[in-house]
Amino acid sequence: MQISSHIGSQLVDLCSALLLLTCFAIVAQRRLSACVDLFALQSAFLVLTAALVAFLTGNHHIYIAAGLTGLIKVIIIPRVLKKVIERLNVKRELVMNVNVPAGLLICGALVMLAFFITQPIIPLGFLLTRDSLAIALAIVLIGFFTMIARQKAVSQLVGFLVMENGLFLGATAATYGMPLIVELGVFFDVLIAVLIAGIYTNRLQDAFDSVDTSHLTVLKE
Amino acid sequence: MLQAIFLVVAQTIVLLAVSPFIVGLIKKVKARLQLRRGASVFQPYADLAKLFRKEPVVSTTTSWIFTATPYIVFASTLAAGLLVPIFVSRTPLNFAGNIIAVVYLLALGTFFLMLAGLDAGSAFGGMGSSREAIVASLTEPAMILSIFAIALTKGSTNLSTIVHKTALLEGIVTDPSPYLMALAALFIVAIAETGRVPVDNPATHLELTMIHEAMVLEYSGRYLALIEWAAGLKLAVFLSLIANIFAPWGIATTLAPAAMGIGLVAYLLKIAGLAMLIGVIECMFAKLRLFRVTDLLGVAFILALLGLLFFYILRS
Repeated sequence: MQISSHIGSQLVDLCSALLLLTCFAIVAQRRLSACVDLFALQSAFLVLTAALVAFLTGNHHIYIAAGLTGLIKVIIIPRVLKKVIERLNVKRELVMNVNVPAGLLICGALVMLAFFITQPIIPLGFLLTRDSLAIALAIVLIGFFTMIARQKAVSQLVGFLVMENGLFLGATAATYGMPLIVELGVFFDVLIAVLIAGIYTNRLQDAFDSVDTSHLTVLKE
Repeated sequence: MLQAIFLVVAQTIVLLAVSPFIVGLIKKVKARLQLRRGASVFQPYADLAKLFRKEPVVSTTTSWIFTATPYIVFASTLAAGLLVPIFVSRTPLNFAGNIIAVVYLLALGTFFLMLAGLDAGSAFGGMGSSREAIVASLTEPAMILSIFAIALTKGSTNLSTIVHKTALLEGIVTDPSPYLMALAALFIVAIAETGRVPVDNPATHLELTMIHEAMVLEYSGRYLALIEWAAGLKLAVFLSLIANIFAPWGIATTLAPAAMGIGLVAYLLKIAGLAMLIGVIECMFAKLRLFRVTDLLGVAFILALLGLLFFYILRS
């Protein structure tokens, strides 16, 4: 029992490490559709992590949350985003506020920051997922950074979704998931947010012939 | 003592014999994937034999560095190869150095190749050396950090100890995350250092893209043969490093003949598998623009850094 729970904890750690890895891939990726694919991959790892936690702890409501994640974040949202990209005809993120190697280094620093912040908290926990808390915080920070560093609305949206993935992982890591009714609310929120952002992106394209959100900071007569 | 000498001789022979085969296998896999028949897997052996018979032409403007470099590159790469476990977990030159020595022996070869590229004074050579310097300076931190991540998990920088511990399945189950990150980083480093496709293309002599080929453009005859053989050796060293650190299954942990036989077969299978993987990668990806290479190597560096961080964070 001791050994199997140890291996289980290692597997959860490994899955969340892969989640963090896809974050870095998203930061390094310039092509928008590949960013969306990577987000779908990240969500798939999230499903795997949640299912693993559900299996190891016997909390069956996490299975439902994992299933919903799979449905919404692996299938529906990437499809919606692909549709938006197709309609907008934007292939590449040409303008970035920081270049890729600098962005990667900043994200590396963010991971360290997240680890230092969670260092005093982690030993207080007794759950087998407690190490993932640091990774969850790191994913939230990197998602936030992606929203700042990218100028195209679609990739900012991907950053937002990455943040949401980090929060879900954090909730799973800290408390074995929120109550199901809260999870349902969050999923619904995210879905609606993506749909609204999709419409907003289309409007942006119509108004400015570009989805560069920095246009919105300038007054236009 | 006798055992040590035997190991040195055996490992030298295996390394020298297997490295042209790896190059040939990668070419063959590429050819088959592109629906060509391709040259025989053993073509690189014939190429080397032909080059050794040819008379070398040396430019009159070159210094001693130009003629000494092929020998230095070949010798340093072979010495690095003797510090890496191949089919026995004990390395022949175990007493002489650890994994950090491997890194810098390989760097010594790269350094002299860059000098030789500059030495002949041709524009191509200088350009190749400058590009190689970019790549080498970016791969080194990634490689060192990934090696530190591995060394920390195993508690040793000695390759024999690392491989021996992993072969006996100590540790690999308890710490998969740092290992995985280090593996990915080391793989990117291996591709960049050996000049394979997303970074450099060994099959072309197009001035816009070449790095390694530009540096050795002035070489001919037996000098070229030595350099090409050393390039194959470097590939073999990197693949052995990856295969034996991350998947040391089947490697001989004793010097019994049966164990060494199994170790040799397992080694050849692993190396062939990795060579095929490189062939597939070369078919799947286009060569990166030179200024995008920094992105790829930045990813390798971050992966190695994450491996190191995970060692501290996930150690509950």
